[in-house]
Amino acid sequence: MIERDHTVVTINGTEYLGEPGQNLLELIQSSGQSVPAICYTESLGSIQTCDTCIVQVNGELVRACGQTVEAGMSVQTELPHVHKSQKEALDRILEKHELYCTVCDYNNGSCEIHNTMAEFGLEHQSRPFQPTTYNRDESGSFYRYDPDQCILCGRCVEVCQDVQVNETLTIDWERQEPRVIWDNDVPIDQSSCVNCGQCSTVCPCNAMMEKGMEGEAGFLTDQKPGILKSMIELTKKVETGYGPLFAVSDTEAEMRESRIKKTKTVCTYCGVGCSFDVWTKDREVLKVEPHPESPANGISTCVKGKFGWDYVNSEERLQRPLLRKGDHFEEVEWEEAIGFVAKRMKEIKAEKGSDHLGFISSSKATNEESYLMQKLARQVIGTNNIDNCSRYCQTPATKGLFRTVGHGGDSGSIDDIASAELVMTIGSNTAESHPVLASRIKRSQKLFNQKLYVFDLRKHEMAKRADKFIQPKSGTDLVWLSAVTKYILDQGWEDRSFLENWVNHFEEYRESLEPFTLEYASDMTGISIEELKQLADTIAHAESVAVCWAMGVTQHMRGADTSTAISNLLLITGNYGKPGTGAYPLRGHNNVQGCSDFGSMPSFYVGYEKTTDEDVRGKYEKAWGVELPGGTGKDNHQMIEAIHDGDLSAMYVMGEDTGIVDANINYVTAAFEKLDLFIVQDLFLTKTAEYADVVLPASPSLEKDGTFTNTERRIQRLYKALEPLEGTKPDWQIIQLIAQALGFDWGYSHPSQIMEEAAGLAEMFAGVSYERLQGYQTLQWPVQADGTDEPLLFTDGFPFKDKKAKLFPLEFELQYDTSEEYDLHVNNGRLLEHFHEGNMTYKSEGIARKTPNAFIEVSEELAKERGISEGAEVKLISESGEATGVVTVTDRVKGKEIFLPLNDSGKSAVNFLTDNRVDKDTNTPAYKEIAVKMKVLKKKGKSPIPPNNHRRGHPVPQISVRVEDKWKREDYQFPGSQVRR
Amino acid sequence: MGKAITNINRYSVSEEEKRDKDFAEVKEAVADNKDAILKGIQLLKALEEGGTLDTAYAFTNAKRTALERVVQEISKEQYTPLLENLPSLIFLIGELDVNGIRDLTKRLNKGIEEMEQVPSDEKSNVLDVMKALKDPDVNRSLTMMLGFLRGMGRS
Repeated sequence: MIERDHTVVTINGTEYLGEPGQNLLELIQSSGQSVPAICYTESLGSIQTCDTCIVQVNGELVRACGQTVEAGMSVQTELPHVHKSQKEALDRILEKHELYCTVCDYNNGSCEIHNTMAEFGLEHQSRPFQPTTYNRDESGSFYRYDPDQCILCGRCVEVCQDVQVNETLTIDWERQEPRVIWDNDVPIDQSSCVNCGQCSTVCPCNAMMEKGMEGEAGFLTDQKPGILKSMIELTKKVETGYGPLFAVSDTEAEMRESRIKKTKTVCTYCGVGCSFDVWTKDREVLKVEPHPESPANGISTCVKGKFGWDYVNSEERLQRPLLRKGDHFEEVEWEEAIGFVAKRMKEIKAEKGSDHLGFISSSKATNEESYLMQKLARQVIGTNNIDNCSRYCQTPATKGLFRTVGHGGDSGSIDDIASAELVMTIGSNTAESHPVLASRIKRSQKLFNQKLYVFDLRKHEMAKRADKFIQPKSGTDLVWLSAVTKYILDQGWEDRSFLENWVNHFEEYRESLEPFTLEYASDMTGISIEELKQLADTIAHAESVAVCWAMGVTQHMRGADTSTAISNLLLITGNYGKPGTGAYPLRGHNNVQGCSDFGSMPSFYVGYEKTTDEDVRGKYEKAWGVELPGGTGKDNHQMIEAIHDGDLSAMYVMGEDTGIVDANINYVTAAFEKLDLFIVQDLFLTKTAEYADVVLPASPSLEKDGTFTNTERRIQRLYKALEPLEGTKPDWQIIQLIAQALGFDWGYSHPSQIMEEAAGLAEMFAGVSYERLQGYQTLQWPVQADGTDEPLLFTDGFPFKDKKAKLFPLEFELQYDTSEEYDLHVNNGRLLEHFHEGNMTYKSEGIARKTPNAFIEVSEELAKERGISEGAEVKLISESGEATGVVTVTDRVKGKEIFLPLNDSGKSAVNFLTDNRVDKDTNTPAYKEIAVKMKVLKKKGKSPIPPNNHRRGHPVPQISVRVEDKWKREDYQFPGSQVRR
Repeated sequence: MGKAITNINRYSVSEEEKRDKDFAEVKEAVADNKDAILKGIQLLKALEEGGTLDTAYAFTNAKRTALERVVQEISKEQYTPLLENLPSLIFLIGELDVNGIRDLTKRLNKGIEEMEQVPSDEKSNVLDVMKALKDPDVNRSLTMMLGFLRGMGRS
C-alpha cells in the first residue's frame, strides 16, 4: 500500500490513485476523463506520433501518453489552451485524412479517427485536406496502402517492428512528404512482408486495409473508382460540418451490422490457438479481426490465420458422399453412404472381431469430435484401436513429460515463454511453424533483454536472431542435454532446495549420467567442450528458463528420451512451477493437444485415464451402458502394420491425409489397398481419400461449433460463422449418424452436450462447460469442478501421489547416420505460408502466387561440389523411395544437409523418402532421420522461389517508429508550443 | 480394397426431382412461418394499392445505373451552390418562428380576403386614411408593420 500511496495524481482537481509505472494516458482514461488519443493503444503502448492527447502536467503542456504517473502530478485536461492544442493536433490529422465515412469500407463503427473527432465534437475543418503525391500501393496479395488516408500514426510500423518483429515497415521522416515504406522503399509485394496482416489490424483508419473489405463492407462502397470519387466529393458537399456527416455515416455503419456477421473463431493452422472474429457476408470472408483480449495472440495473427480462408469456399470441396464403384466414385445421398458404412462395419465386426477395425481422429477436428470418435470405437464397435495424428509429431514429448512431471502439456502459458530470462528452442523452426508465438520471443529478445538460444541443424530465422545458435549433429540432442545437466551437477549449480522438496530418484538419475562426460558429448554432438560449459553456466544461473521444442526433437528414434532429457534438465535447475519457466512442447496443429486429451488414444480415455485401469473402465461402462474392451489398442503405426499382416480389415480416418503425412507413404498406401473397408472423412478428395471405399464430406471449423485446445492447454470455443456448405456435415454429426445406424442413439443436438458428458467423466476437465468458455473466455486444464484452472502448472507440486516429480535415467546410442552411398541428410519442416500437405493453403490464390510450390534447400558448399545452381532439378533417393524437386541454394542449410518443406503432396512429398523407423517408445515416425543420395536432373533453371516471395526481401530493423525524427523536422512544431505563442 | 482413384460420377438429379425438392423445402418454410408470410402478403398488398410496389420495383432494377446517373449529374459544377445551400436551408427552417409565421399568414390571408371585396375603381383621399386610422383593425395592422420595419432595420 505504501508504494501506491506515492502515486496519487490530481486530475482536474480530483485525486486518483495510479499504479506505479502506469502510463498517464491510461490513468486519465480509466478515471473517466476524455482526452482524444489516436496513436495510443494498450496493446502497442505509447508511440507519441499523433499529438492529440496533450494535457497540462504541472503547468507544462505534454503528451499524456509519453508520461509515466508520478506522485503529486497535477494534471489538467480541460483548460482552454489544452483544448486548443488538442484541436490543433486533430486538425493536422484531418489535413492528411479525408472524411468520407459513408462511402468508406472502414466505416464499421470502429474507425478511430471518426470516433475521436465525433467525441471531441469537432465541427469544422480549419485547414483543407491535402492529398499526397503518392499513389496507392495495391501490389500485395492481401492488403493495400493508401498514403492519402494515412495519418502517419506509425501503429503499423510499431506492430511490424516490435510486435510481429518482421521489421519490414518504417516511416521515412526525412522526405518532403513522409510515408510508410516497405524495406528500402519497394512495393508491398516485392518486400520482406510476410503478410501477417497486423498492420491492417492496428491501422486506426482505412489507410492500411484488408483487400477483402474493399468494395464489400459498405452499402455504397462497391462503385467504380470514378463514381466513388464523385461520391466522396458529393458526401463532402452535402454533409457540411462533421456533425451531419457523422450522423449519416453512423446510421450507415449501424445498417452494416445487420449484413456483416462477426463470429468468434479459433484458428486451425497451428497449436498457438489464435482466436479472432471472422467477418462474413453471406459465405464470403471479408476479414479476420483479432482482439486485444484474444488470450493466446492478442492482436497478432500470421498470414494463414489472417488471410488463408479461401479453402472454405473452394470449388474442390466435396459436397456429396462418395461410394467406390469399380474404377470410379459415385456421388450418393447421405442415407446410402451411412447405411453402407454401418452395414460393412457390422459385417466385419461379426466376421473378424472388433479389433479388425481401426479409427483415426483428427488433430484439426474439435475436442467433441475426438471424444465421439473414441466413443464410436469403444462403445459402439468395442475396440481400443483409436489414435490420432499427434502420433506423427508430439506423442514423444507427451511421453517425456509423463515420465518426469506427470502432465503431458506445456508447463505454462505463452506469457511465461515471453517473460523467461532465457528461452531455448530445440529442433523448432518457431518463426515458421508457430509464428505468433515466435513473435512473442522475438519481441522479448529485441526489447526486454531476453536471451534466446537456438539449437537446430538449420539456420532459420530464429537461428539468425539468436544470441547463441548451436548446431548439434542430427539426433544427438539427448547427449548435450545430459552432459550439460551432468556438468551442472558436477559444479554444484543445481537447485538444491527444489530437488529436495519436489523431486524423486535423484541419486539413481545422477548415476545414470556417468557416461555423459563433456568429452563424449563433444564427440557425439560436435559442440565444443568450452561451449558446453558456457551453456551449463548460462542455464544454471538464469533466473528463469523456458525450453520450447518441436519435431526436430520428437521425430527421431529417441524422441521420447530426448524430451525426457529436456525435462530432467529443467528439474535439476528448478525450472518448473515458477513464472517464466517450464517445458513447452510446441504443438503443431490447432488441436493436437485436445485430440489426445479427449480420448483418441489407444491407451487412454478422456484426460489420460488409462484403458487398463479397471476403475476407469468401470466408470465408462456405467456411463455408456456397454461392456468395454480391456488392454490397449493399436496406434497409427501398428494399425498400418496390422493391415499388412492381415490383422486389421477396416479403417475410419477422420480429417487426416494419412497417405501423405505418414512416414514411408509407399508402404502406407500399399496397406490402404489391402483394406476391406476404408472410410475417409474430409473436405477434399485427398490422396488418402483416393483409396477409400466411402468418402464422407465434412465441414471445416468455420462451419461448426466446438472447442479446440491449444499448446498452452487452453480450451477455447469456436462458434459457427457459416452454415455447413450444402451437402456437407460437421464431423460430430457424421459420427453420430454412424453410431445411430449401428443402434446407438446418442441424441446430441449441440457440441456443448458432448463436452458436458466428457467433463462429467474425466477428472481433468471436471469444471469445463460452454458457459465458462463463452466468447473469449478460456480455461487451461486441469480444471476443477468449481472452474479453477491452471495457467501455470506445478505451482503446488506435481500430479503424483507424493506431489514429487521424477528424474528419469536415460541411455544413448546413435542409430542413425548417413552412409557412403546415402551421403546426404534430409531435414524437413514447415513453411510459414503453408499448412501440412497444403490442401488448404494452396487454395489461397494470394498465398499460392507468392509461394507456389515446395523447394529443396541445398547448401552453397554442396551446390558447388555437385556443380548445380539455383533452379536445378534433382532427384533424392532414399532406401524407401524417391522424390524430385527444384533447388534453391541458400545459407540456411550447411554442408551435406538438405531441407525439404513438408508442405507438398506432389512429387516433392518428403514422405516418399521416409521409412519405417520410429521412436522406440511411442512409434512416432523418425521423419527427421533420412539419408539420401542425390541425382542431378538439370543443372540450373528458374528459381523455385518467385521474385515476390518474402524470403527475397530486405528487412530494415529499428525500434518503434522513430518519432524523434519527426520532431526533428523543420516544419514540425509541438501543438502545445504553437498554442502558447 | 482398391487402388487410388479420382474419377467421380456426379450424382445427377432430374430437373423435376430437384424442383420437387425445392418445392418441398419452400412449403416447409411457409408452414413454419405462416403468420409472418401472411403479414408479408398484407404488406405487399398495401404497397401494391398505393402504387409504391411498382416504383420500388423499377428503382431496384435500375439501382446502380440510377445512382451512377444521379451522382454524375449532381456532381456537376452548376449544382454546387444548390448542394451547399441545401443543408443551410434545412438549418434555416430550424431557426424560423413557425408559430409567428402561422399567425402572420392567417392575418395576411384575412387581409387579402378583405382586399378582394374592395371595388377596383374605389379611391381614398387623405381624409379617408386619417379616418381609417381610427379603425382599430387598420391601426393594429399599421402598428405591426411599423414594428416589423423596426426589427428588420435593427438586424
